[in-house]
Amino acid sequence: MISVTGIAVSPGVAWGPAALMLQRHPAMRYAIAPGYVELEVARLESAREISAAQLRGIHARVSQRAGADLASLFEAQLLILDDQLLVPRARDIITSDHVNAEWALDRAFEQFCAVFADVGDDYLRDRSGDVADVVGRLRQNLLPAAVRGGRVLADLDAPAILVSDELAPSFAAQLDPALILGLALETGSRTHHSAILARSLGLPAVAGAAGVTRHIRPGTLVMVDGDRGEVVIDPTPEIIDRARARRERRHSITIAGGPAEHGPAATADGVAIAFQANVERPDEIDGVRAAGAEGIGLFRSEFLLGRRAIGEFDEESQYRVYRDLVERMAPLPVTIRTFDVDESQASGTLEASPRVGAREPAASLSRGPLGLRAIRLSLGHRALFETQLRALARAGRHGAVRVLLPFVSSVDELREARVALACATRGMSSGGREATPMPVGIMIEVPSAALTVDLLAVEADFFSIGTNDLIQYCLAVDRTDGRVAELFDPLHPAILRLIRQVIRMAGRRGRSVSLCGEMAADPGALLLLLGLGVTEFSMSPAAIPEARRLVRQVTMAEVRRAAARAVGLPTSRDITAMLAARFPAFAFRRPEADRREPMEDGR
Amino acid sequence: MLTRTVTVRNALGMHARAAARFVHAAGVYQSHVSVTRADRGDRVVDGKSILGLLLLAAARGAVIRITADGADEAEAIVALCRLVDTGFGEEP
Repeated sequence: MISVTGIAVSPGVAWGPAALMLQRHPAMRYAIAPGYVELEVARLESAREISAAQLRGIHARVSQRAGADLASLFEAQLLILDDQLLVPRARDIITSDHVNAEWALDRAFEQFCAVFADVGDDYLRDRSGDVADVVGRLRQNLLPAAVRGGRVLADLDAPAILVSDELAPSFAAQLDPALILGLALETGSRTHHSAILARSLGLPAVAGAAGVTRHIRPGTLVMVDGDRGEVVIDPTPEIIDRARARRERRHSITIAGGPAEHGPAATADGVAIAFQANVERPDEIDGVRAAGAEGIGLFRSEFLLGRRAIGEFDEESQYRVYRDLVERMAPLPVTIRTFDVDESQASGTLEASPRVGAREPAASLSRGPLGLRAIRLSLGHRALFETQLRALARAGRHGAVRVLLPFVSSVDELREARVALACATRGMSSGGREATPMPVGIMIEVPSAALTVDLLAVEADFFSIGTNDLIQYCLAVDRTDGRVAELFDPLHPAILRLIRQVIRMAGRRGRSVSLCGEMAADPGALLLLLGLGVTEFSMSPAAIPEARRLVRQVTMAEVRRAAARAVGLPTSRDITAMLAARFPAFAFRRPEADRREPMEDGR
Repeated sequence: MLTRTVTVRNALGMHARAAARFVHAAGVYQSHVSVTRADRGDRVVDGKSILGLLLLAAARGAVIRITADGADEAEAIVALCRLVDTGFGEEP
């Protein structure tokens, strides 16, 4: 029995056989003996054949669904796959330099990129993205079949613990909760999208568990303890028994606490607090209803994409999904955020994660979180953006739809988006009468937007604070980098001050502000947010009942005093200590303490 | 052997899809097709290789020189020049 410690990102405990999935490009570069040259060339050739079959399949599906224009992208990729400069070049490198296929492929791609980098034309340099996708697919197909991304999920026929080096949100969105018992991931953090998704699906998950993909072989019995942040390989029967007892106890608590929590929530002194749900997938609606949410505060539309590129998702299919959401939630409002994807997710063919290919040589393309993504990407691909806006406007006739724009950093972007909305809906009539204009709001997740809420409020109908990104960009912390993840501090005085300012500026302009980040799922942070003046929250359905209970036990006066004190304290440790002293009834934990705190019972 | 010079007119330049169309069009003919930038550089690429064409980095306004050599070189050069000249059938 071995135990690997990681970060507890989604509570609960689960065990089962491991399904191993590798997404990242393994840094496998080794020399081969001359006798193995033929074998290595055969491996490369087999990867090329699998890739060609995949691309032909995608091409056929896409031309049927989305038309010839988009399908031609895959024709181009097929040509790239067959081009003399790529696979045959790699084959020559294997033969002459006696290196493994992965290394040879990397070198061929690097040679190609080097020429491109010389060109110096940013616009055309982006073109190597298509080549990177093809290379990513080839690399993925060089992996043994048993651990290949898409195939692992597709081939899963019995419930398993998914063990992976990395789980891209597009893959996470494909997880079938009936077949996945829990997640053990080498990378990621509490606020990573995959962790959020795991929580919303109620899947126990541990992230940052270093080396699990190396220690665990497919089929090995694995236990994921999402309360303590532990992955146990080959657990003893006694350990399983204890985990089972813990799980049964938790289950009874959930049921006991459930039904009484419906209806509007209010503080002990009668201030109404609204709780809405963050939703990743339409099939979560039942959970939203059960949690007593007063609407959907954030629907992440990009999760509809699954493994598809945004261009493959036409107006009609989008409309059907949005309409279904709206009708099932009626009369409660539904806030739908437009696609928050980056370039690789937008153009990618995602059957093999394109990030595999995009990562190293394409570093100069700046595909990171500060690159071309979200509203920036939408405004650059107006046809795709207008398709989504038209689908949203059509769904808006069936209920209360609000449009939320992600990653806005300036008034100009908001204006441009409004123009796109006007263009998209031009000529749309609503059975003879004027359609009611849909409210258009923006996410406050870039510091520049947070600091100019008064200016944005003139043209935005509402605001939604996305704490994950706001914290990350304000504190300059890459939350996916485990080495600095501890600096991701929701109670940093800068964050509290920034949120206070947003609430004040929006309030002066009469604009509502909702807070939709994971921050509010932490009891201490929730109290401070209430005290800073946040009265609307959107969170994962599972977190709502507990938040309601907490709200009912405090008065507005005491949380205001606590918040006023907190913004003047120098560190988040001081703030946590202050909260613990003022609200002794609640147990405040800091997220990073999850893994160290001994915990006998489930939460 | 025939050579002709033509300007890239479509907004996106010779990107992957446009290059793919060029390769498909060139593949119809037996003639050897090579392409180079007339306005800069000396790289001569195979007109039937998509990666080669991408390496020309021919954005809108770039002037490219197409050479066809073979039995059907006349037909090939006319067809390929027309393809580039009409912006690869894309929006201008």
